[in-house]
Amino acid sequence: MTITNDQEFKAALATLDNCQRRQATAYLIRQALDLTPDSRVRAGLDLAVRCDANEAELAVAAGGVNSARVASYTQCGHDANWTCQASHFVARAAQECIKPEISASDAWEAAMQARMARICQHIATGEGTSNREAEAQYRALEEYLKSLETQS
Amino acid sequence: MSASLDKGVRVLKEMIDAPIASYFSSCVHCGICAEACLFYTETGDPKYTPIHKLEPMRRIYQQEYTLLGRLAKMVGLSKSVTDEELAEWQELVYNSCTLCGRCSAVCPVGNDIVYMVRKMREGMSAAGHAPEGIKGAVTRTINIGSPMGVKLPAVKAQMKHIEADTGIAIPLDQEGVEYMVTLSSMEIINFPEYLGAIAKVMRHVGRTWTLSSEAFEATNAGMQIGNSDLARVIVSRVVAGAEKLKVKTVISPECGHAYTALRWEGANLIGRPFTFKVQHIVETLEEFRAAGLLKLEGMETDRLSFHDPCQLARRGGVIQPQRNLMKMVAKDFVEMPDAGYMNWCCGGGGGASSIEEGEELRLEAFKRKKRQLDAVKPDRLVTACANCRIVLEEGLEHYKMNLPVVGLTETIAEHIPDPE
Repeated sequence: MTITNDQEFKAALATLDNCQRRQATAYLIRQALDLTPDSRVRAGLDLAVRCDANEAELAVAAGGVNSARVASYTQCGHDANWTCQASHFVARAAQECIKPEISASDAWEAAMQARMARICQHIATGEGTSNREAEAQYRALEEYLKSLETQS
Repeated sequence: MSASLDKGVRVLKEMIDAPIASYFSSCVHCGICAEACLFYTETGDPKYTPIHKLEPMRRIYQQEYTLLGRLAKMVGLSKSVTDEELAEWQELVYNSCTLCGRCSAVCPVGNDIVYMVRKMREGMSAAGHAPEGIKGAVTRTINIGSPMGVKLPAVKAQMKHIEADTGIAIPLDQEGVEYMVTLSSMEIINFPEYLGAIAKVMRHVGRTWTLSSEAFEATNAGMQIGNSDLARVIVSRVVAGAEKLKVKTVISPECGHAYTALRWEGANLIGRPFTFKVQHIVETLEEFRAAGLLKLEGMETDRLSFHDPCQLARRGGVIQPQRNLMKMVAKDFVEMPDAGYMNWCCGGGGGASSIEEGEELRLEAFKRKKRQLDAVKPDRLVTACANCRIVLEEGLEHYKMNLPVVGLTETIAEHIPDPE
């Protein structure tokens, strides 16, 4: 399957079952993991890809990711550090997928937060905006869907 | 006397206008204002009594503008205000005052203590005794136009992101539309979804709107530091933007002091009436609701409560609109004790959240909010101020309270049906 736009991307996410959707979303967010140094976010995503993760484990991981998200807010009146802000949006993305039930709209929201993280990086570096993160997400989802086909 | 102290004292003298003089002369030292201040109630330290925070200014008033005070000064019986004293008072005037206005609301003789603190801040700022965090915000506002250094390319990047997310075009510099939407830096940086929510609402109600490339930022650091000249410059940018685009209404964002600066002080700051109306986004949404334009679907079933931002509810008098809006989407809406006019501050308003050295005190003061929340145990907390939202989240995180905090505009927008 080839994904070329957001409509196809959303449609593909909607075809997955709950565990597959959580796994796929975690893979999408991992595309932006270079933007965060926070080990709590990494640990959360490592758990999110496991179908055998139980509710208690997910709740603990979600707590850690939430702490990372809150700690990385830019405070009112502080100089905006867009690199740090990118880390905040990765944590927000991760928070959307570290839960027992993940809907297609949660997965889309996570993807958008991860794209926002990349935009922050672009603002920080003055690169301007591009659609590279969306493209990277399309390819990551295609890979994931292909791996499902191989398994079956 | 150092040059900065000299300037500070001179500014403080100038700040003592008729209201300030009457407030000092009518204070009966009852201490009721102490019980209204969360920094006093949560620490028990009498130095946080609101009227005490004005002691250097009171002494200048007495020494300069009362007969006995002038005589005492002449014969050396009263002590002049010193640089060390102003340095000591910095914590009291900035870190432990969010300009929330509860003290003004309870004063039995009607003293507007917030007004006094703001005047005191003018002198403190002139004397060089404003916190570094707020000074930095002011410098960025002067140099860049935003207290957090947000530039137009960042706003454009967010616009593009929102357009991709929602499929709705975000208008920029559209002349002759009904509404000009302003943002706070906090929304641009931390909550881009706010802009998406505005786009959804405007499409739903069929109203025309725009952002302005010259006046997208409404946060007023001048109000927070106590610098009327700067406050005037920031308001003037918004006024110039609105008049250039010939809009009918300027919408102030979910930011408390942006609203106070534009809605309540703006015309006085620039010395003439506006050619447009100013509304807080909550007032705009309420207008749409009252006109039957908001046709929402579905209800939230979890227990929701609302945190009233001080500048919106107590200082701005906007109390019922947010409740009307909440009732449109919440099946189980619960009010915290003291909600509405006498709601307790989040602890980070008035520039306090930008003062790093004030964090410990802020978290101590947050115990008041914690008690309010513990009394009704909501599942989610809704508010209409981006700064409140972050300060609340930090407090909740510190006290290990698992309570999501969401914005009112986004909450309403989530219930807008997709267009056919």
